[in-house]
Amino acid sequence: MNKKTLIALAVILIFCGQAFSQAGTKRKRPLPYEYGRVVINNYSDTNGLSPVVFEHWIHRSKFTCRVCHVDIGFAMKAGATGINAADNQRGYYCGTCHNGKMVVDGKTVFASCLKEPIIESRRGLIVRPSNEDLRRCVRCHSMGQNVARDYDFFEFSKPLPKERFGNGIDWEKSEELGFIKPVSLLEGVSVQRKSLTVQKDFALNAKVEGMPDIIFSHKKHTVWNGCELCHPDIFMGVKRGTSHYSMVDISEGKSCGACHTTVAFPLTDCQRCHSKPV
Amino acid sequence: MFKPVCNSKAVAMMFIAVALFIGLASPHDVSAASDPALSELQAPTALEGWQKEFDDICSKTQDAMTFSIEELTALVQRCDALLPQIEKLDETQKKVYTGRLRMCRGLYAYVLNSKKNEKP
Repeated sequence: MNKKTLIALAVILIFCGQAFSQAGTKRKRPLPYEYGRVVINNYSDTNGLSPVVFEHWIHRSKFTCRVCHVDIGFAMKAGATGINAADNQRGYYCGTCHNGKMVVDGKTVFASCLKEPIIESRRGLIVRPSNEDLRRCVRCHSMGQNVARDYDFFEFSKPLPKERFGNGIDWEKSEELGFIKPVSLLEGVSVQRKSLTVQKDFALNAKVEGMPDIIFSHKKHTVWNGCELCHPDIFMGVKRGTSHYSMVDISEGKSCGACHTTVAFPLTDCQRCHSKPV
Repeated sequence: MFKPVCNSKAVAMMFIAVALFIGLASPHDVSAASDPALSELQAPTALEGWQKEFDDICSKTQDAMTFSIEELTALVQRCDALLPQIEKLDETQKKVYTGRLRMCRGLYAYVLNSKKNEKP
């Protein structure tokens, strides 16, 4: 084998290697009903259960972000809360609403985790939940299971204003038009608060020539999130204009990307943020 | 006339009947409720002192921007004073309320820093 052939082979190998590595990291664009889906597997596998599949779309249509992420205390990162069955049984996290008592839209919210297994396992006995109990478990522990849902995404989304990306739903308009009425306060859980003093909207300069500036609406964000959900955990800069945001950081889940890569409309919907008339 | 033997038998029978009635009429989970594993799963009913303080502190987050530096400093101090009480709670409550308190404290400290920065 001569020198030229060796170099050519090396170039081909490098090229192929790069191509394969890129294919491996390419993110699949989620389907509308998958957008916002969170898989929770802190303890499921180790307890012989399928991981929990949490659908944001149905929950966000009933409750504001603040109710769950501030008042109930769910972390903003998947798996970071460390929810376990005992927490739910005590009436916290999922068990706050999934207690078999709460009624939402005329339906009783099914109870989450069972009491018996944890008590029996503490006593060192074998856990043998009934078939009915197991059916209840898989309503949440549904990864890879064929579970009949109470809500069908396509039925649910049919009348709602459409958007091109994310869930394919314009959530903001859906609320404006009264299709959804997210609850912002849970009796016995949320702290009673006065109505919020709305902060002014402000503009952020776009870095790319010709790209419209961003109009950040405090009003839109505080109605669903309150203040403490974003400050200081997500936005820690205290002086306006001193924090710099880049699309690379945002796409990695920093600042706006904490929600706008996961649940809120995605970054592909440029003009939703870059909206200042040019 | 009743014979004394019969009387004592009747009294004994009555005692047994009452004891059985109490046993049957009591809630089925009485034995379970005395089980520490279960009793800790019962939800708290009365609003405890720490929770009143927590509610009072965290109900003001909406107004954070309107508070003075002194007021914000006092709120941050109240958060810090409450934390040791929350750390004594059961595992779940501790997890939930330390997180919630951290958010309230974080916001007050954030606005406080912002106001201090604004000062000439």
